[in-house]
This record gives sequence, structure tokens and C-alpha cells, in this order.
Amino acid sequence: MATGCEEQTPVAPDDGALPGAPITVTVNIPWNDFASNLEVFGGYGSAEDIGQGVLAEDFAGTLDARTLLRFGAYPRIATVQDTTGASRPDSTLTILGGRFVAFFDTIESTNTAPVTLALGATTEAWDQTTVSWDFAVDTINDQRPWTEVGGGLVNPVAQATWDPSAGDTAVFVLDSAQVAAWADTTDLSVGARLDILDPGERLALSTAVLRLDARPSSNPDTIIELTAATRGSTFIYSPFPQPPPDGVRIGGAPSWRTILDIGVPSVIDGIPDFCAVVSCPHTLIPGEISYAALVLTSRATEAAFQPTDSIRLDVRPVLNRSAMPKSPLGVSLIVSPFGRTVQPEAFGAAPGVEIEIPFTGYARDRLRGTDTSGNPTPETLALLSVIEPFSIAFASFEGPLSAAEPYLRLVLTIGPPVELP
Amino acid sequence: MTRDGIRLVKTVPAVLLASLLGAAPMHAQSLFNAAGLGTPVEALDGRARALGSVGIGLPGRSIMPTDPGGLARLGISTGIMAASPSWVDYTAPGDRSGSFQGNRFPLMAIGYPVVGGMASIQIGSFLDQTYEVTSVGEADLGDGPVRTTDLFTQDGSVSNVNLGFSRPLGQRFSAGLTVGRYAGSLDRTLERTYGEEDEAGNIDTYVESGVWAWTGWSLTAGGSADFENLRVAASVQLPSALDGNASDETRGSDRSFSLPVQYRMGATVTVGPSILVHGSAVLADWSDAQDDLTDSFASTGNGFGLGVELSRARLLGRDAPLRFGFRRVGLPFALQDESVTERTFSGGFGLVLNESAGVVLAGLDMSIERGLRSSANLTENFWRATLSLMTSGF
Repeated sequence: MATGCEEQTPVAPDDGALPGAPITVTVNIPWNDFASNLEVFGGYGSAEDIGQGVLAEDFAGTLDARTLLRFGAYPRIATVQDTTGASRPDSTLTILGGRFVAFFDTIESTNTAPVTLALGATTEAWDQTTVSWDFAVDTINDQRPWTEVGGGLVNPVAQATWDPSAGDTAVFVLDSAQVAAWADTTDLSVGARLDILDPGERLALSTAVLRLDARPSSNPDTIIELTAATRGSTFIYSPFPQPPPDGVRIGGAPSWRTILDIGVPSVIDGIPDFCAVVSCPHTLIPGEISYAALVLTSRATEAAFQPTDSIRLDVRPVLNRSAMPKSPLGVSLIVSPFGRTVQPEAFGAAPGVEIEIPFTGYARDRLRGTDTSGNPTPETLALLSVIEPFSIAFASFEGPLSAAEPYLRLVLTIGPPVELP
Repeated sequence: MTRDGIRLVKTVPAVLLASLLGAAPMHAQSLFNAAGLGTPVEALDGRARALGSVGIGLPGRSIMPTDPGGLARLGISTGIMAASPSWVDYTAPGDRSGSFQGNRFPLMAIGYPVVGGMASIQIGSFLDQTYEVTSVGEADLGDGPVRTTDLFTQDGSVSNVNLGFSRPLGQRFSAGLTVGRYAGSLDRTLERTYGEEDEAGNIDTYVESGVWAWTGWSLTAGGSADFENLRVAASVQLPSALDGNASDETRGSDRSFSLPVQYRMGATVTVGPSILVHGSAVLADWSDAQDDLTDSFASTGNGFGLGVELSRARLLGRDAPLRFGFRRVGLPFALQDESVTERTFSGGFGLVLNESAGVVLAGLDMSIERGLRSSANLTENFWRATLSLMTSGF
């Protein structure tokens, strides 16, 4: 009797009892039938936000880039073994000199051969957030150009060679006077500028530290090594790319966003393959959209800004287009928190790759006019990088005027209403 | 009356009342639910099941909606509740077979003496409609074929809520009238999923569903007559159309289905000091519903049953009549143009739990049926148990 209380829905053994099977059909909607008003906006975030540096000298015949850094306070105390062999803290340290150690991203860096780097000390006050190739400070009511573009005049400190086949680090030897000069954390002109001297390469600097040689008072015969981390870093570059007149741009530092208005067609007609299997004109209902994606075709980015690592794309609703470029954005329409990943070759050596950015739920809401909570569905979408900014490189796609213009890919499942038997 | 007996008598009516206020769901017990309006589920108690009855003409206490005349013979307040689990094995062409099980509560009722007769409230099952079916195919989405899985789920039933009154007409005759309202709902959902099973794809599931509420009315009139060794009874049920009203969110349309007039007759004869022989039959021509159906076939639901009761058997010192029966009833709907029948052999017993001054205050009836439902493409062998608990004098 107890087992009799378990309910099991009987499953019919064949499809004779399956009423009204739907059909599945794929439809590609051309740009003019679903989208309009494409615009590209730049300036989101700062190169400082990346936390990495970029070095370039006439890369791709155009790009120059330098990295600016500031160092944090040096360690004032260290635990050392005194002359009796006992370990105890020593706060009377004499710094004798040190090394500037730069760590590079070997994947993002373009060089395979050794390159020569130059380290200099900045001499002009610069603002870490707003600094650019032309301006040391560029905030509201305070715009100060460099005395010499590209980071101003610097005092040369040292040169070093980085060979990527030997490792990911480059080491610059510092004397005690330079180490002491960089210890001042209150002077906004104090900092380091790292340049690449060899032309034609673009390097990605992961991080840099100061290794300090110090003599403890408790054991003067011993030299200990202390580490001072950077307090902040940014990079400046030239030329700054201009907005594309006819395409889609996503990424970069500061970042680029592309926005466009979306209107999912409520009636589908005139598409021969579709009308061959579905009675046309067909009035589309939200529940019939099983999949919707914006399909973009990649094109080669300007050589200086071509990605060397994967680009992760995101798409979000623009909540108030009239407030662009400052409109807030809605939540991501892409399920994966890593966005839509695109290999870098799509924007360099192998352009013309179709990239689908799915937004099925949004397409349904857009067709319905409201989301499932009854709120109006924004008609504008922003295409952007998952992390802004993420890299100096950006992704480029064909625009509406191109032969490979963006289109809307719909997978529709169309069936009759379920009726009583 | 024992202490336990008192507790039983006081408790069961409360359970019945709660059940009446919130009608218990009735679940599927046959794959033939996929045809037409489903499979009829009769509101019978354990005694009727054991005797192969169609629910009319049984002597003694009877509170089934199919026998309005018999209701007058109750005499005192009476309540009944029945549960009926079943276990089904099916076979179909292509070596396809399987099994499932389910439980339903086909009958809940209370009768109470009023103005010289008996008034009753009865909730009975009428049509069982739950089933699901899966179909696997392929769709070309431009990047090659993708597996599609269509799952159609139908969940619902039609029940019948009745208000009745019956009274004796002299010493031998009684007559009753029952007004019933069809209730229940039907939820039909078709889902198409894309990709391999257990593999989350980025193509959303297509869902098309509809919910309908069942409404309709029925009027059942019946009478019975008692002679020295014979009870005879007959009833006729006059239904309205069964209307399916779509909910606001349903794209499907409202529909209306013709229901047949159902004639029932039964008789029980005492052939010896402890032997009762029972026979009953039902006539119901469902073929008028054919015009209302789109993808299935309707035929007749005629049937008959025969049974015998050995009334002097005892169990644990109490009266425990033994019963045996056979029944053959046609199912009104089929997926193909054919007739489908249900045949059962049954056995069971009754057990008096509490009796006072010759009046049974509490008793149960149990039956076990071994049955067969067969069509050209589907055969079901099933076991069905029915347990009903009746209390009186509350």
C-alpha cells in the first residue's frame, strides 16, 4: 500500500499521442531590419585601472608607449640575525642601493628577441589617473601639458636588456642616491618612467618592484634584501586612436564601447527559406524565439592595437541612451561571467570570423516590450569588454555599411497553440 | 462500542469533511488516458469493485453517485472514502514495455438523514487524463543537425461534485435525484529541448502550454426496489456538454464535448442463506463525442459485471463477507479506430469494524482486481486495489 502512494506519470510508448509537433527554423535578419543608430564611445576607465604597463617604440610604425610608476614606502624594519645569531627586529637599516626589477607578460609582449629598455626618473608632477602622452595632469580646471610630450624630461637612471627566452624579468641596477630619491612618497614629480629603446615591439609589463640592499645595524657585516612594491602604475601612449567611422570597436584603454538600437521584428516576411516552411507573413511571438544572437564579423584592428590575447566581449542594455556616454548599463545579457571569448587572430591574421553574441532573453523581452517583471525593455544595447579597461588592444568588427554587416540570428520554434484533444 | 471504535467514528467524518473541502487529486493509471478525453474512472467503493459491479443494485449500504435510489436505504448518517492504487505493466509493438503505478481517491461522500430521506454530498472521479509522451528528432540549425526532444505532458482530470437527495417510497421502493457539477482542470504542455540529454546548450527550451478548466452539469435520477430475495435498481444520468474553458494565458481555444446519457441497471439476488449473486450493466454511447475530437476516436462505453458474495465468512471473529467478480467494460476513447475493453477478475472481502444493535458503525471493504486493457497497439496488464472505509452514526 505504501508503494501504491508513489505517483508515476504514465509515459506513452510512441509519439502517436504527441499533438502538434513544432518546427524549428533559423532566420538571419539583416541589419536594416533589426538595428540602427550605431555609435562608438570611448574614454571609459583609465590605463591606470589595468594595473599593468605597456612599452612600445614605433610599434607597427605608429605606436609609442611608456610606463610610469611610483613606489610605496620602503620597509623600515626587518628581522635579522644579530652577531650572536639571534633573530630580532632591526629598525636601523642603511640602504646601500638596489635593483629595479620589471616582470613582463611573455604572451602579450610581441618580441621574441632581446630588447633594450631604459629607466628614467620623472621630473615633473603627474597625476596617475589622468596622465596622458600630452598631459601630465588633465583634470577639470587643471590641465598641465608635459614640457616634452611622452612623459616630460627624465633623468636617465639605467638601461637593461630583456631577453624573453631567458625569463620574464629585466633588472636595472640602482645606486643609493636614486633609491633614496624614490623614497619620497609625497612629491608628485617623483616616479619612474620605463621606455623601450628598440623600435617595432610592444611589451606588456606585468609588475615591477624595487629590491633594496640594506645593512642592519645589529649585524653590519651582513647585507639583507628588502622589497618595495609599486604604489601605482599607468602607461601613456601615442597616437590615441580615433573612433572608427564605420565599424564596431570594443575594448582598449581607456575603453571603447559600441552602442546600437535593437528592434526585433514582430513580423517576418520575404525570407524565402523561412517562408518555404512557415506561412508568411508570420507574426512572431516571444515564446517562439529559442535563440537570438547578434552576429558580428571581425576585421583587422589597427596593427598597433591588435590583441595578442583573447578578447572577452559583453553586451548590456543601455538604460538611458540620451545620457550617453554616461548612461548606466543594465546587467550582462551573457550567461558566462567571462563573456564571449574571441581569439586574438580574429582581429589580426585571420579576420572575417563571425562572432555570435547571444541575447535570447533580451530578444524575447524586446519583442514583448517588457521584461518578465513588466518593466520596459531598453531598446539600446552596449557592446563592451567584460573588464574595462583590460588591455591597450581592442576588438574591431564590420559595421552596418560593410558587406559583412552585423545581422540578427534567430532560431525559432514555431508550433500551433496547444489545444484540447 | 470499544474505546477505539469511538475514536474511529469521531475521527473519520472530520477526515471526510476535509477531503470534501479540498478535493484530492486523482492521478493517472492508464496509457489510454492519451486518447480523447481520457479514461473513465468510476466512483466505486471496495465492495462494488470486488463484485465486478458498475455501481448499482447492491443491497445494504451504498452511497455511490451511480445509485441515487440506493442512498435512501442508508437510514443513518454515513460517510465513505475510497483509495485505489494500481500497478500497470504495458507492452507495445517494437519490444517496448514498461510499468508505472499510481494512486487515486475515486470516491468521497457523506449522507445525512433529512426530512424523511437522505441528503448526500459526493465527490467522485470521472475522467483520468494524465500522461506524457516523448519524441526525439533532429533539427538543422545551419551548423549541422541538433537533437530535439519533444516532451508533451498532460496533467489533469475531470471530477464530479454531486448533491443528492433520496427517500423511500413505501416499504419496497425508493427514488433519488442527484445534481452534479463537473470540475477539474487540464494542463497540456509541449516542450522542445535542444541538444543531447543532460547537456546544457544555449538554445532555450520551447514551451507551449494551455490550461483549461472543466465545467458542466449532470442530473442523475434513479430508483430501486426491494423484494424478498431480490434488489433491483436503475439510474439514468443526463449530462450537459463538458466545457473546457481556456485560461487567460492560454493560446488554445475553448472547447465543448458531448457527453453520453448513461443508463445503469443492476440486481442482486439471494440464492441461499449466505450467497448473493449480483449483476449490473451500463449503457453509454460516447460516439457523439467523435465530432468534438481532433485526433482520437470515440466509441461506446458499454459494460457489464457479475459477482457473488459469501456473506457468512468471518475474520478475526467479525463478519467478513468474501466477494468475487468479473467485469467487462468498453473504454470510450482510443487513438485508433478500434474498440478497447477493460476486463477484470476481482476478489475481496468486507470487514465489520464496529457494530451496535445490528447497525454497522464502521467497516471497510477491500478488493483486488487483475485486469487487462488491450488495443491493437497497446496492452496493459494491471493490478488494482480498492480500499474503502465507511462509517455510520455520527
